Amino acid sequence: MTSLIRSPLTIVWAFLTTVTIASSFISVDGGGAHQINTTVTTVVLLIAAVKAYLVIQHFMEVRRAPLWLKLTTSGWVLGLFTLLLGFYFAGV
Amino acid sequence: MTDVAEGSAAGVDESVVDARGHVPGESSMWFFVIGDLLIFAVYFVGYMYFRSQHQDLFLQSQARLNVDIGAVNTVMLLTSSLFVASGTAAARAGNSANALRAWAIAFAFGAAFPLLKLFEWIPEISAGLTPGKNLFFMYYFVMTGMHLCHVALGLVIMCFVIRNLKTSAQPKISLVETGATYWHMVDVLWLVLFALLYLMR
Amino acid sequence: MSGGVATVPRSGSEPAKSWRTNRKLDQWIAFWSVPFFFNLFGLVFVPLSWMMPPRSPSSPTPRIVDFMHSHNLLIACVILTLAYGLAPVSNACYLMQVKRMSVSPAFRYSMMVGAMTGAIVGMLFPMFCFGLGAFRPGYSTAVLTMLYDFGYLAFIGSLGCFCVMWMAFGLAIILDENNILPKWLGYYTIWQYVTELMAAPVWIVKSGPFAWNGLMTFWFAMILYVSWQFIVYFCIFKAIKNQPESEFA
Repeated sequence: MTSLIRSPLTIVWAFLTTVTIASSFISVDGGGAHQINTTVTTVVLLIAAVKAYLVIQHFMEVRRAPLWLKLTTSGWVLGLFTLLLGFYFAGV
Repeated sequence: MTDVAEGSAAGVDESVVDARGHVPGESSMWFFVIGDLLIFAVYFVGYMYFRSQHQDLFLQSQARLNVDIGAVNTVMLLTSSLFVASGTAAARAGNSANALRAWAIAFAFGAAFPLLKLFEWIPEISAGLTPGKNLFFMYYFVMTGMHLCHVALGLVIMCFVIRNLKTSAQPKISLVETGATYWHMVDVLWLVLFALLYLMR
Repeated sequence: MSGGVATVPRSGSEPAKSWRTNRKLDQWIAFWSVPFFFNLFGLVFVPLSWMMPPRSPSSPTPRIVDFMHSHNLLIACVILTLAYGLAPVSNACYLMQVKRMSVSPAFRYSMMVGAMTGAIVGMLFPMFCFGLGAFRPGYSTAVLTMLYDFGYLAFIGSLGCFCVMWMAFGLAIILDENNILPKWLGYYTIWQYVTELMAAPVWIVKSGPFAWNGLMTFWFAMILYVSWQFIVYFCIFKAIKNQPESEFA
């Protein structure tokens, strides 16, 4: 099992978990629960985008996949979060 | 650079696989994964659009959610995915015993998700927070409900993979990879859901 | 000599004989009934009666009454009463190909029962409800409003039957070792099941994106459904065409 602990996958996991907990704190402590907070939202969504991208690249092994798959999945992350932030700021 | 967690020297040389641009698992599963990601993306964007029309309602409603369980569930899925990924690499390297163990642990973490969900939903529903309460809760229950169905299906697929690892001398790598791909997709979807429903303001 | 196209006679040989003795004739008749049926359906529901796209569940009562009494609705219901019988034929198309799959007959039976109950609840009930409004002018406003709700809820809310049908069909395709239909179609069919599930909220809300005419439950589901419907029949066409003559003992 020690090889698992030293594996790159575990490093990615540790980062993802840390960042998940961090974003939870940012959300709960950073902004009053009843108010719009563009900073909190932007940070939280960007973190989510990075997490999604990392899971796709490393866990789903897209990093070693053909170009079309890399483009499609990265395009999904980029397109989705652009739209999400776009609609958010448009409505704020 | 090799991602093989078990580092078995007698196993598959991952760098050869690198060069060919390997699509893990059946391509029909990738068709499903990409399509599902797109379908959920429409839901996500729809949610954000309607949220912008009802800011206060959504904010007030969000305050009633249990962020702690949401965060724990996120970590459950991430950990489960870690073991799926390492188990898959082990299977490819020919290390069935380690692969089986990793997938079994992954299943345990994955099964924690629906259990925790119950602890989240039941108090909410008892408190009158139902899908019909308002648009936020409708989105919340519909999206997490659809996601939960995906988790359930993923757990079933995991059972098939575990059975294959346990009973076959030579595990069906394409089955293992296909199951892994599906499960990671479930994880990715939740990462977005967690941010949209629980965290954003 | 296997898998010849049904409707075009083979060049050189006796054309009339080839057409009549075509072993796949039953399948081709069933298949070609489909575009006829769907087009008729589409015409009846949309430009003729404006039953579709669904009217608002929170429509004011006078508008509901006008709709239920409209002349076009009457004609639409007459046509539907006559054409309804083609629904089983279009489903037969699927079943004949599923029969060739290596999976258990349980899938086929689930599809059949799902299709039957789905057609009764999803098509026959709305037809009766709207037909009652059209054919029987004497009902009170309250009754008409109830029939209106009943009709639309039955049409869009009858998800359970179709859930079973699409799940069975999707699983059959995915598990089939004879590869009668492509695996990706099996996954696409799973999405059909998902669109049916998406319709569940219509029972709860009367406005907004989750009402029976809502963005999420109707329009988005329609995009998935319509594209699937075309694609599945295209795949069925290819499957019938490629079916080897040797399968017909």
